Amino acid sequence: MRKKWLAVATCAALAASVTAGCGRDDSGGGDTAEAVEEGKATGEITVWAMGTEGEKLSEFAKAFTTENPDAKVTVTAVPWDSAQQKISSAIAAKATPDVSMIGTTMQGEFAKTGALDPTPTDLFRKDSFFPGAWDTTVVDDTSYGIPWYVETRGLFYRTDLAEKAGFPDGPKTWDELTAFAQAMKDKAGAKWGINLQPGKTGSWQTILPFGWSNGAAIEADGKWTFDTPQMTEALTYYQSFFKDKLSPDDLPQGALEPAFAKGEIASFISGPWHVGILNEQGAKGKFAVAPLPAKQSSTSFIGGSNLAVFKDAKNRDAAWKFLAWLSKPDVQVKWYQAVSDLPAVQSAWDDPALASDPNLKVFGTALESAKAPPSFPTWTQLAATFDVEAEKVCVGGADPAAALKAVQSQAESIGTGS
Amino acid sequence: MTRDRIARTSLYLVLVAGLLVVVGPFLWMLLSSFKTEAEIRSVPPTWWPSTWSPANYRDLFDRLDFPQYFANSAIVAVLVTAGNLLFCSLLGYALAKLDFPGRKALFLVVLGMLMVPGMVTFVPQFVLVSNMGLANSYAGLVLPFLAGPFGVFLMRQFLLAIPDDLIEAARVDGAGEWRIFWRVVLPLCKPALATLGILTFLSSWNNFLWPLVVATTDDKYTLPVALALYAIGQNRIYYGLLLAGAVVVVLPVLIVFLALQRHFMRGIATTGLK
Repeated sequence: MRKKWLAVATCAALAASVTAGCGRDDSGGGDTAEAVEEGKATGEITVWAMGTEGEKLSEFAKAFTTENPDAKVTVTAVPWDSAQQKISSAIAAKATPDVSMIGTTMQGEFAKTGALDPTPTDLFRKDSFFPGAWDTTVVDDTSYGIPWYVETRGLFYRTDLAEKAGFPDGPKTWDELTAFAQAMKDKAGAKWGINLQPGKTGSWQTILPFGWSNGAAIEADGKWTFDTPQMTEALTYYQSFFKDKLSPDDLPQGALEPAFAKGEIASFISGPWHVGILNEQGAKGKFAVAPLPAKQSSTSFIGGSNLAVFKDAKNRDAAWKFLAWLSKPDVQVKWYQAVSDLPAVQSAWDDPALASDPNLKVFGTALESAKAPPSFPTWTQLAATFDVEAEKVCVGGADPAAALKAVQSQAESIGTGS
Repeated sequence: MTRDRIARTSLYLVLVAGLLVVVGPFLWMLLSSFKTEAEIRSVPPTWWPSTWSPANYRDLFDRLDFPQYFANSAIVAVLVTAGNLLFCSLLGYALAKLDFPGRKALFLVVLGMLMVPGMVTFVPQFVLVSNMGLANSYAGLVLPFLAGPFGVFLMRQFLLAIPDDLIEAARVDGAGEWRIFWRVVLPLCKPALATLGILTFLSSWNNFLWPLVVATTDDKYTLPVALALYAIGQNRIYYGLLLAGAVVVVLPVLIVFLALQRHFMRGIATTGLK
């Protein structure tokens, strides 16, 4: 609660400084990128990175400094928990590093403050990245940063139970998914056929893909469109798993993995990091990952992190050269081997290290068409509204159409922020 | 006699129930810090670890530069506490016992500052500290917290209860103002000082956002920041590491509290404040 208030206050202060013209020379949008000088990188490059990335990048970057002996990379590890506050305070005080890792969903908010340097087009080729990942860097038609690593969602299911339920390869379509969850319960003896997130923080990451797979878009011509018939149909379908008692709606945090390992929960939707957790929990070899079941398409969510250079960077050119090095296909593969981050550069996936893993292949295919919400600065605010309304639908049995209307009216009053 | 005993027994029952509620979570934290990640997550949760493993603690000390973070936390908390004890009692004394023009107005300003939530001043304060060139320094971590309106208010309320005659007597005996404050007033304030000391130490020790934002390299991080860094990932929380870290972070606070407990209780009772 306290943190939420702080975030609001920080945003308000930032917005005030931008509109008052005392914070920045220009307020982002329509920037043109300057070219980066040729030659090797020199000088100190300061980098902020979150979590494991922050812990491991310093060591990893030694290969870069071997190639560029006059450069030095200084990494500060930042806790994920409050990265947003740290970066926005730094922007307000003009005390930014040269480079920062930025979560894909925070990108719009930060780009809009005008603090990020536009991506130099001479160093980076848009089509070498996954299209959904590249789109998260683009705000008002200008790209501010590059995708670093990606993640996406798939359906994790117990292979042994699926065999008994008559779906050895997992469900392919929406109709099959319902039948699959029912059979997991009736024939395979699972307590719950599937676990879907019943609203609450981040549930949009699971729900929106159902909408996208049904042809819905939450943005059209620069306006929010949450209450389309396609989205309503998707949310109604999502709700049906709770109404039919196929998915629990009150699972405590951390209870999913042990229940999955015991076979009480037969399947769930999540991202690549769950492979490691499930192996630790003793479910190794008992599960597989399937693409999200399709309606019109199978469109998953793309997340991960971008890397951006700040306008106030002291060592801009070297910073961009460092990012160019990080997005080389072979470096992306090595980074995957070091920390299990999935490469954002498409050609890195041809490497046997990734191509030989069947579960990874599912994620790799999903990434080609996966989408992210539009990078409007107001998205994080709206995501919270969406999660609250989704909870009313999943847990409280509220009418999906009315819930989406509520999100839409909130969206219209907040706007896109651009 | 029997009625007395029944009353006593039921009193103890109520107290034990209260104790369980208060101490239970702490005990679970302590016991669970020795469990494996899988056991911590098991449903229903267990009390006693099935196997005692020091792995979480080993992990904690191996991965974190523990002495550095601990030293940072200790330096900041001790300086902030010392500053608060000195400055808040000085101003509190002036507001309670000295007559000077603008005293009322000054007190109102202090009261007003109590009403302003810290989140509102957070960003401007950081911009200020950063423009003074104090980002990423101990000065930046300590200076903004050296005195606070709450401490001033607490000290003033406590000092009001000290009889004026005592101060007058010292003045008649020829003691200077500084000597009166130091030798007569402060020794009488021990309970209030203990209360203020514990509360300030606690809030400084637990402070998370300010050190996170002010420290721009990780060698200036304090314990809570370092703990969040390693235990809370983008998509998952490492409970074992978090619990072991929480135990280690809590220990110094516990020691400070136990050392000052007697004064602390009296301080709360006499000032009617917490």
